[in-house]
Amino acid sequence: MTLRAKLGYTAAALTMLAALLTPFRLMDSFAKGFAALGLHVDEMYSGGPKLRTVAMGPYSIAVHKPVFPHMLQSGNPFVQLDWSPASALPQHVSDVVDVDGDGRPDIRVDFDVPKDPKTPLRVNVEPLNRRYEAMQNEGKEGFSRLIVRVDNAVLVRVPLANR
Amino acid sequence: MASKACTPRLAPATPRSVLRALLLTLPIAVWSLLMLFHPGTPTDAKSRIAEAVTALFMTGLFFMMMRTGKTYRWRRCFFVALGFLFPVGFIYNMVLARGTMGIPIEEMIAGRTPFCFLAIPLLIVPAALTKTLVFPGSIAASRHAIATMVGLWLALTLVLGKGWCAYACFFGGIEEGMAAVPKRAKIRKIDPRWRLVPWAVLLAMVLLSLALFEPAYCMWLCPFKAVTEYVTARNAVGVVQNAIFIVLFAGLVIVLPLLTKKRTQCSFFCPFGAFQSIFNKISIFEVKIDRTRCKSCGVCQNACPNLSLSKESIAQGETLLSCMKCGACVDACPQDAAVWHIKGTEIAWKPERARLMFLYAAWAMAVMFGGSIIAQGLFTILHFLA
Repeated sequence: MTLRAKLGYTAAALTMLAALLTPFRLMDSFAKGFAALGLHVDEMYSGGPKLRTVAMGPYSIAVHKPVFPHMLQSGNPFVQLDWSPASALPQHVSDVVDVDGDGRPDIRVDFDVPKDPKTPLRVNVEPLNRRYEAMQNEGKEGFSRLIVRVDNAVLVRVPLANR
Repeated sequence: MASKACTPRLAPATPRSVLRALLLTLPIAVWSLLMLFHPGTPTDAKSRIAEAVTALFMTGLFFMMMRTGKTYRWRRCFFVALGFLFPVGFIYNMVLARGTMGIPIEEMIAGRTPFCFLAIPLLIVPAALTKTLVFPGSIAASRHAIATMVGLWLALTLVLGKGWCAYACFFGGIEEGMAAVPKRAKIRKIDPRWRLVPWAVLLAMVLLSLALFEPAYCMWLCPFKAVTEYVTARNAVGVVQNAIFIVLFAGLVIVLPLLTKKRTQCSFFCPFGAFQSIFNKISIFEVKIDRTRCKSCGVCQNACPNLSLSKESIAQGETLLSCMKCGACVDACPQDAAVWHIKGTEIAWKPERARLMFLYAAWAMAVMFGGSIIAQGLFTILHFLA
């Protein structure tokens, strides 16, 4: 048997070993290696990292970093605000929010919180600063302007004005 | 070359004895029990019945492979079961969790979209350039998270190469089942240039995914969205997307396989299949044509469900890069010229040894991955029957 053939059989045996190890070690090792690459899910989906949290008594508003679309990605720039816990929200929320943290109000957000979590939500956003776009009775038409309930939070994405 | 014609061959000219076939099947029987009954699997009666039936099914098919010396027919039984039972279990779980097969925007934002391996080639360039994954899932939060599925795909690819498309893909079985229905193909002459289309689709989808920053194939072209989870039609765009999914599924997965007896979606469209072909270069197992025996009759070429043999490749004793090691050509060849082969070894030197080594590795993966999917599908059916 030639050296090449011996190497071939060795590699074939190692492949069989890899098959046996896959459910016990190999798969998890690859998964951990991939997770360690430091990749993150696109912010158009995740909403971007949280910048700060504003306490509002029984609930709080988390303000995320503004998200800007890449290249030809559909949607507009937006900023995500999370009201949580949803269970502590009043029946009607009407909050003035300082989004950029400069001490001045930027938007007024109004929405109802139905008791049934499956009821579709609608939101009105009145811009108090030209940086933000108005939203009128909007639901979840797209990733960059919406109101949805995710777990125990109500998420509002307010589009940034194009300028 | 003449000496090769006299080399000993281990391929069983007649079926193996039952006892010998049983002995060869024993490791797979133990593996099936280990994979399907390990701690952590559900212990209710319906789950146990589904797991037991699956273990018997997978072990029985391997026994028949050992007993008859044939591969393709028995592998196809598994693969078709996988293809048809995957949507059953998947849709049941989706409807149970969300109440619908559609993906609501809330689930995407929450990162709860189950990750599908078809998206892998689309993620690579955006991830390399921006460290961003253009998929609405989570990286490591759950069993269906991106890291888990990528880890599984890497391990299976290391073992199987393009064999993924014949032993692991949970979509290909539907069209393989459809292709098995007619006795004869209505369309026999297929222009070989169609083989290039998956590469064109792959290139286009990779570039589009980078430009649009979304998994373009999943959003616009995946035929299997029709039987798994589709985009919720919130507007006209969503309606168009879903219409495309249904038309492609009906055409490429149902109608064309019935007319051609080929896996048409895999052969002429699937960008993941094209991407997976690259890994045949690093896979140690392959199928070769022994030129000393080949009479160039073309039977293997007709038998290949994936158009992975051409006159030119047969003349060179090779399969094309897209060969998924299903064994159709090996089983069909009247001269035993199509053989399983381990790279580095002489062609046709103990091909049954190469076949056994490949099948142990491939079937172990099939039981681990496909077996659990089949068990889930059977459980769902039992659940509804009860």
